Amino acid sequence: MSTTSLLVIAILILATLGYFLASKRAISTAGGDRRKLHSLPVYYGSNAAMFTAIPALGVLLIWLLAQPMLVERNILSTIPDKLIPEGSSIGLVMSDVRRVADGLEVVVNTGTLSQNETLKLDTEQTDIRALLAGVGAAVGSDVQPEVLEAAQNYRAQTKMGQLWMVLIIVPLALIGFALSVLAAKPTFRARNTVERGILALLVLAASLAILTTIGIVFSMLFESINFFKLHPWTDFFFGGSWAPNFRGDSDLSILPLLWGTIYISIIALIVAVPVGLFAAIYLSEYASPRVRAFAKPLLEILAGIPTIVYGLFALLTVGPALVRVFGRGEEGLLGLEWMSGATAVLTAGLVMGIMLIPFVSSLSDDIINAVPQSLRDGSLGLGATPSETIRQVVLPAALPGIVGAVLLAASRAIGETMIVVLGAGAIAKFSANPLEAMTTITTRIVSQLTGDTDFASPETLVAFALGLTLFVLTLGLNVIALYIVRKYREQYD
Amino acid sequence: MTDAIQKPEKKKSSLLQLDARTRTRNAAETRFKAYGMIAIAFGLLMLSILVFNIVTRGAGAYQQTFVALEVELLAGKLDKKGNRDLDDIKKVSTFGYTPLLSNALEAKVIELGIETDLKAKKMVGILSKSAAAQVRDYVLNNPNKIGETIGFEFLASSRVDGYLKGRVNRDSIGNDKNISPAQLDLVDALKAEGSLAKRFNMSFITGSDASDARPEAAGMGTSMIGSFFMMLVVLVLALPIGVAASIYLEEFAPKNWITDIIEVNISNLAAVPSIVFGILGLAVFINYMHLPNSAPLVGGLVLTLMTLPTIIISTRASLKAVPPSIRDAALGVGASKMQSVFHHVLPLAAPGILTGTIIGLAQALGETAPLLLIGMVGFIASNPPDSIATGLLSPNSAMPAQIYEWAKRADPAFYERAWGGIIILLVFLVTMNTIAVILRRRFERRW
Amino acid sequence: MNDKNIMESHMGTTAIKISARDVQVYYGDNHAIKDVSIDIEDKTVTAFIGPSGCGKSTFLRCLNRMNDTIDICKVTGSIRIDDEDIYDRRVDPVQLRAKVGMVFQKPNPFPKSIYDNVAYGPRIHGLAQNKADLDEIVERALRRGAIWNEVKDRLQSPGTGLSGGQQQRLCIARAVATEPEVLLMDEPCSALDPIATAQVEELIDELRQSFSVVIVTHSMQQAARVSQKTAFFHLGNMVEYGETGQIFTTPQDPRTESYITGRIG
Repeated sequence: MSTTSLLVIAILILATLGYFLASKRAISTAGGDRRKLHSLPVYYGSNAAMFTAIPALGVLLIWLLAQPMLVERNILSTIPDKLIPEGSSIGLVMSDVRRVADGLEVVVNTGTLSQNETLKLDTEQTDIRALLAGVGAAVGSDVQPEVLEAAQNYRAQTKMGQLWMVLIIVPLALIGFALSVLAAKPTFRARNTVERGILALLVLAASLAILTTIGIVFSMLFESINFFKLHPWTDFFFGGSWAPNFRGDSDLSILPLLWGTIYISIIALIVAVPVGLFAAIYLSEYASPRVRAFAKPLLEILAGIPTIVYGLFALLTVGPALVRVFGRGEEGLLGLEWMSGATAVLTAGLVMGIMLIPFVSSLSDDIINAVPQSLRDGSLGLGATPSETIRQVVLPAALPGIVGAVLLAASRAIGETMIVVLGAGAIAKFSANPLEAMTTITTRIVSQLTGDTDFASPETLVAFALGLTLFVLTLGLNVIALYIVRKYREQYD
Repeated sequence: MTDAIQKPEKKKSSLLQLDARTRTRNAAETRFKAYGMIAIAFGLLMLSILVFNIVTRGAGAYQQTFVALEVELLAGKLDKKGNRDLDDIKKVSTFGYTPLLSNALEAKVIELGIETDLKAKKMVGILSKSAAAQVRDYVLNNPNKIGETIGFEFLASSRVDGYLKGRVNRDSIGNDKNISPAQLDLVDALKAEGSLAKRFNMSFITGSDASDARPEAAGMGTSMIGSFFMMLVVLVLALPIGVAASIYLEEFAPKNWITDIIEVNISNLAAVPSIVFGILGLAVFINYMHLPNSAPLVGGLVLTLMTLPTIIISTRASLKAVPPSIRDAALGVGASKMQSVFHHVLPLAAPGILTGTIIGLAQALGETAPLLLIGMVGFIASNPPDSIATGLLSPNSAMPAQIYEWAKRADPAFYERAWGGIIILLVFLVTMNTIAVILRRRFERRW
Repeated sequence: MNDKNIMESHMGTTAIKISARDVQVYYGDNHAIKDVSIDIEDKTVTAFIGPSGCGKSTFLRCLNRMNDTIDICKVTGSIRIDDEDIYDRRVDPVQLRAKVGMVFQKPNPFPKSIYDNVAYGPRIHGLAQNKADLDEIVERALRRGAIWNEVKDRLQSPGTGLSGGQQQRLCIARAVATEPEVLLMDEPCSALDPIATAQVEELIDELRQSFSVVIVTHSMQQAARVSQKTAFFHLGNMVEYGETGQIFTTPQDPRTESYITGRIG
């Protein structure tokens, strides 16, 4: 069992012990009269468990997150430049080092060699690669002496780190244990302390949302910076072509991808906005309760269908159907030869539009319903027909909200992945022909980050820059849309 | 004053006659209403096309063609030393079993009196490539049966299966080297004699994915387990964290700019494209924390972060629905704020929280894009995990990722399985959503 | 029996504008209006009074078929305006509402400019030939709504920016702009302060010269101040109808008396 899990179990046992001891002690110091206690005995116990476990576990978590980073930084500085092969990077060497180090740990754990024997290993005398392969740890190439040395260093530092971790965390837990058990006296306000502790946990949970955002931004920002070190930013933002080439010298411009993304999104919105809006108008202004009860949930099923299903629908149903209409020459329905493959801007756009219909319609439905009935009455009372009322009073009043809904739908369309991965194609180009295959930002992120990836080449790292752009784009749309919708709602609240 | 600017009395019109203007206005009204109906009809039409497509194309995956054969387990081929030593038997690869299959087929053909020009070696082409492995597994489990003749049911190859399902016909196989018209003749003859038939295929639901050459053997089972472990992680993490965050924001948070930022943040996170969460998972969990690639644990963590905003938003709505009078009542008898929330408000909001959680889980179950980035595709997980730890940490796929994998393989036999997989996925989603709706109906309280 | 003759003999010179006979209104299973028959005169202010929930607003909304917008509402009996049954199958409620305007309890200006608010009715009914014509209609309506002087310099600013009393007068001007023959007012002053109420009441009195005005009110003082005729509604029945002075001084029905003296309501 690993040191970490042993440590966790020890802390938990100590906490349980603390719980019982503290509640016992509280009762006994009160002379067995529970009414003399400030709080229920449970709270004295919980207080002890909390002070034993939480600081220790918190430090443990931070330690586990920080230690690999520190160790790696130390090791990195010791790796000589000559170890980095042509066309490779320090990152790859580092992952070799890590693999060798992890492998050696396995060697010790399985009992193939003893701890001391592994420390004396030498590339001259032992085939490390074979040794590691014997315990199921695969290393790409033969292990060089420097890599072995770095790996040994890595192991030593990790061991040292773990030792310190135990030396710090165990006393921490013990101190918390002792203090909180001793504090269990009738005058101690245990409930207030426990509640403050719980509140702190609640705050922590709520700030996880912020942490996630920071995680998203930083994870993409760091790799994007690495990318811009390897690739000129002018090409990324202003270049004209997208042609990744894994031997280097790629054209990596976002513009053709952005064009594909926007083109497909526009087609999707052309389908989804009128259909969704009219559906919402009909459902909220005309439909009888029975029709509404039946049509609304059915439409909303479209929103619950996973995007992979829409992707398959685009690739295998809508695409071929469009080819039958616009392609195949003489055999086609129109005798045209405009469309050659099932994947095309129109395919992806149409299917994405279908996916967005319920999104637009339920948002607009909410917004139209927020328009006060008194406005409708006012208009109808003047002798306007329902459609005049809707077009000239309800829709203008709801306009900001509807604009917000459309922006939200646009942000969904831009960030949608599966439909375009399967339905849009992989060719990056500027073309106005909706029957051609084109590609999008999300598709390229998927293709650059799946399969064999090398986190030192611009061809892989570009995905992070693309992701960051996508994030900023959708975030911008969302912020604006949510702001508009919020202002709109305040107007009628 | 008013009289001075009054217009001369306008012509009296009868209410019983429509004037021309009203008629045009009514026509516009009818048109406008028609647009609404067309929009709804369009949406419903698309839904029915989609459902029809899924059902008709996916149903085939639940039926598979099987060939019944008696195979003589020749001792001379399988256990040359004759000592029934398992290690020796293991040395015979699946390749060594193929002759047994061709013998069995040939015997069958002769027994049934089918006329064919095919050589026995070619006849085996109608069987799945997994047939030999199936016999070998049987022999390894039952070494004492060597020398006997055992009845097997083999999967037919995907082309034969497609032929029976109408996907493959004699015109379409012109350049197909996997199947020949003569083989199809044999298939017809075997089918007429009842040795080859389509039946329900349980292994599609329980089995694992198979390599490109054996679509007939591929199943959803293992990826279902992968999805199950991911959902476990999401449930264990997202529910408590989401509820805790909602309680703080709804009940305790002071109205200040920090709270505002958190709130804006959560509503924006809910709209961040899922693929961005995939990038986060790749960068943080895999590249930084070195959690194993393709592991359901990582998938679950990513989906947790993605589902949290959904759960927080719905939990806050259900907390908000609990009237303040309940809180006041608890505070009035001397409970602390924390006690009033945990003893009274939370239990009352529980059905709503549960409903929101199930809906969030359903959303996570169908999510594909982030899984592509953390490597849950392109991997053939063949064996179901044997413990919770391996289930969480060993590489696996997930249902939607498996479907994507099949959709990419550009083989109609795999397309059929992709649609079939969608049926399973949708069955799960429909069940979860139905439970959520029932919960809501059952426990919904109007205050 | 010929109702019209009887009425004319009773009322002398004033013409009957609206005549309702045996009107029943149902909201689903709820019988909201029972057997109401009433004759409303032209160029007169008629007040409907009664405790809340007595059906006076419901009945008012029957007069221009605003109840049509509520699915579960069903109206039987006959309501005739200028001797034409407004529930006749051939009648288009749109045309009817152009003739029978309505002002609501809460001021409900559209989120448009003051000008567009007033021009809305004339525009949809095609009352103006050109822009100048429309300007004239808007000005006349705003003058008759007694709000022209307050808004003439800011016709393009939003109607929602006015004060409550101004908004309600704007809504009256908006209703007047379509040149209706009858003006229905559903508690037009309930959301206004006393000063704004006084202004609106003064306005109602002026409007009487051109229209038949029917006003639903909670306040008996208001009914006494503005109306010539008053109908008292109670639990869906019209209990008493007559000259305002007579209703308030010598009510015939004990229920009317208890309401007026404050014992019910």
